[in-house]
Amino acid sequence: MRRASVWIFLAYLCTPSFALYRKEIYKEDLRIQSLRDGQVSTTFSFVTVLEGAGPRNPKALGQRDESQHYALFPLTLGQILREYAITELHLTLNAGKWNYDNWGHPHEAGVGTGAELWAWMGASEVTTVDERWSGLRNALSGLFCASLGSLDSRRTLSPTVAFPLSGSTPTFSPHELRHASLPSENVCTENLTPFLKLLPCKSHAGLATLLNPQKVFDADWHGMGVHVIWKEDTGIELKLSLQTVFNPVRTSAGKRRDWNLQSLFDRSIERSCPVASSSSITVILPEGKDHKITPENPSYMDGLAIYDLSSSSNFTIPSNIAMYWPSEHSFQYRKSLSVPLPPLTPITPLSVKRTIHGTTQTRGVLSVSVTNNSPQEISVGYLEMMPALITMWMHTLKVEINSQIRSDLLSELKYHPPSPQSNDRFSPSMLQAVLTIPPKTTLKISMEVNKAFLKYTEHPPDAMRGWDLPGAVFFPLSQLSHNTSSSYDWERIYTPTLLVDLPTPDFSMPYNVIILSCTLMTLIFGSIFNLLTRKWVVMEIQE
Amino acid sequence: MNTPPAFSFLVCLRLLLAVLPLPGQNLLKHDHQLSSPLTSYLRLKEGLWLLDNNIDPYTGGSFHHSPLLLSLFSTIVPPLPIIWAISDAVGAWALLRIWRARQGLSFQKGTRSNVENLITSVYLLNPYLLLPSLALSTSTFENTLTLLALMFASQGKVSSALLAITFAVHLTPSSILLLLPIFMVLVSSPVSHLASPRPFHGNLKRIPFLFGEFTLYWLVLVGAACIITGGSWSWVRASWGATLTLPDLTPNPGLWWYFFTEMFDHFRPFFLMVFSVHLVIYILPICIKFQHDPLYAAFLLIGVLGTFKAYLTLADPGLFLSMISIFPEVHGYLRHPIITTLLHLHAALLLPLQHVLWVSEGRGNANFYYAASLVMGMAGGAGLVDACWAGMRIAVGDAKEWAEEKVDGEKGEGEGKVVWWEVVQQ
Repeated sequence: MRRASVWIFLAYLCTPSFALYRKEIYKEDLRIQSLRDGQVSTTFSFVTVLEGAGPRNPKALGQRDESQHYALFPLTLGQILREYAITELHLTLNAGKWNYDNWGHPHEAGVGTGAELWAWMGASEVTTVDERWSGLRNALSGLFCASLGSLDSRRTLSPTVAFPLSGSTPTFSPHELRHASLPSENVCTENLTPFLKLLPCKSHAGLATLLNPQKVFDADWHGMGVHVIWKEDTGIELKLSLQTVFNPVRTSAGKRRDWNLQSLFDRSIERSCPVASSSSITVILPEGKDHKITPENPSYMDGLAIYDLSSSSNFTIPSNIAMYWPSEHSFQYRKSLSVPLPPLTPITPLSVKRTIHGTTQTRGVLSVSVTNNSPQEISVGYLEMMPALITMWMHTLKVEINSQIRSDLLSELKYHPPSPQSNDRFSPSMLQAVLTIPPKTTLKISMEVNKAFLKYTEHPPDAMRGWDLPGAVFFPLSQLSHNTSSSYDWERIYTPTLLVDLPTPDFSMPYNVIILSCTLMTLIFGSIFNLLTRKWVVMEIQE
Repeated sequence: MNTPPAFSFLVCLRLLLAVLPLPGQNLLKHDHQLSSPLTSYLRLKEGLWLLDNNIDPYTGGSFHHSPLLLSLFSTIVPPLPIIWAISDAVGAWALLRIWRARQGLSFQKGTRSNVENLITSVYLLNPYLLLPSLALSTSTFENTLTLLALMFASQGKVSSALLAITFAVHLTPSSILLLLPIFMVLVSSPVSHLASPRPFHGNLKRIPFLFGEFTLYWLVLVGAACIITGGSWSWVRASWGATLTLPDLTPNPGLWWYFFTEMFDHFRPFFLMVFSVHLVIYILPICIKFQHDPLYAAFLLIGVLGTFKAYLTLADPGLFLSMISIFPEVHGYLRHPIITTLLHLHAALLLPLQHVLWVSEGRGNANFYYAASLVMGMAGGAGLVDACWAGMRIAVGDAKEWAEEKVDGEKGEGEGKVVWWEVVQQ
């Protein structure tokens, strides 16, 4: 086994350099954090940097592309990026609801439930951005075995303010954003397998050996992400991330929050990935001194315990990394003497909730409540992307604090109603606003909504389940336009998704409806024309 | 103008209803029987909000009202309930004047008989017309404009009648059915000739000129609508295209919505065409058969609209039922008025009940409401067929008169033999 890694290493050194040889760097990292409610969040990030490379100019799409040779960068993904001239790509597949109050901000900001795909592409006359977006969706759905092909014009929008370009902007053409999300997408092993195939060492060596699908998909929250960013000084960076939140209290026998890699993943790292320039496990140490961590010789830095696993270091691979609380018998979250205590103040300064009230199937009230937990006023952007089957009545939009109308706290309201696309579909409606929330208050936004009556053919096969609505997004305002007093750095907050119940027609009735309605119309038509065209006579009726 | 006492009383009552805050008014606005997506007050307010915020109201799929209404309520007057009350009053006044023109009476004096009180009450107190008006559905304006067009036509005022019908056609394209009867009333007279039919005695050569004038007014209004919406044509697809393509499948008492909900996409254009052409094919036969009394032909076509219109509300059969009061000569010849009344009663009770069961309570399903809409269709059809029969039967007269003529001609042999005479169609 060690010989195989030596061969891989030699092959890497002997790669011929006459092709378009770019230096590729691969780093992998695992962050483990014990959260305050006893759960454990693990974030894998596998970063491959293609140095000196840049995105393809979309104006040159008609011509033959220069040949690309990758050693560590995945070829399948690279081909897709070149084929559709994508500058920046973000794809996340998540399952579960991220609990911002107890878990804080995630290391990767894209935690919206289901599938979320957004890409920045340059405009070109050769092929339109929409055509490339459609090709990208289908290519990625084939690559990741996810039904991303259904993220069509009914779910696509361009919210450029909330989802700006994270990297540098190329100068060759003006860039456009396409964003779509599918909250009802399920994530499973079929998505993890192609994800692991994009790594240089796959799941044989390095940190990726820990990714046991049975354990990962059993977690309370799990999500994987593919992020491609172009940074002008470094090159194209591909980050594959996988975040999970495990619950050792639930799975352990004695209701303890102790964790170790074996109990979390049921796997151990046999050998490190030889092509990784750095490979480490970082444990974010919790507050307090009553925890213990083994093995006991990591490098400590700033509240973090780092275990370096790369093959270039002299470190022997630890068989198991464990954290335990020796003095604690069993973990009680906010319970003392079996009396529940009030919940702690949320970790994040903003807590959000979103619901649709209403008992009828035709209309409801969409209500979003934002709580400012910090002692300073916060200005935040609010983005709502609602599929066309829910009509938001903007003239009923209300902003309240404690049932008192405060319209001054909502500013810069922008609303794009659903716009008709080809084949009689409508794009989602987009509502964007800036909310100013005073300290320690709860702001409530409410508006009436209408639920649509869809055609027989538009309902999915499980029509009684309802339709998933993507979550609203709260995003920080850029420092230039607004002076936000928030001192922490966060990208986005996603509200949970909603499930709406739409009124359904009777699916067994097409033939019956046609014959009944046509019979009625024919009866009336026939009677009238009968009356109009006949002659009147006086008839004698013999008694 | 001398109006009957009931008119002033009921108009005051209606204005009072508009001004006072009613407890269930918010529920009425959301009711699907009283307003359709084309006439709903909620969508009107939404369109006005979008216009205020510099967003084109016609790009989203929710606003289907005419740009004329948009400009009326954004620049001239806000959408207050009193406007609907005034519209109701104008409609009742127009109906009264149509009656006076039909009887050949002077418009100013009228008569003292109770018929005028009855006509006013039947229009203002008809729940099919009152409830949509309280729900602030714009179908009230459509009814008022139709009645105004008929009124001006009965008085012989060409330009006013054509302008009124142009406005009506702008708000509802299906009102085009009434164009030919109005032309015929303009060139002949509205006086009742149902009992004595004769070939059309008006000057047919004037009709193309009337049509030309109508087209001119129509083009002017189209131009005004384009200017209001800033030069775009998206309003055509959203407001007129809605009656032809049925984009919104919200339930209403009509026959179209469930038919096109359950229709496969492959057959949809064909059946949309069939349903639209079905409305149009009634025009010529009814106008030819009732050429001696074009006002009655207009009445029958209003009945056709009240049963088969695309986005039906209760106001459409309501107009038909209220207008029956200005044709008292046919009342004696109706064959089954009780059945029509009972069917309407059934439908009026079943429709809101099944709607609540399906949508609010979740205990029924869409078929319940569909069945109630079929009963409504039968009620409208029964009324229409009966009115058609009565309008023609009155021309034949009493069977006994015909019988007496015949017996006089004979030698009087048939004593002791009881003979019954019946007027039938063959």
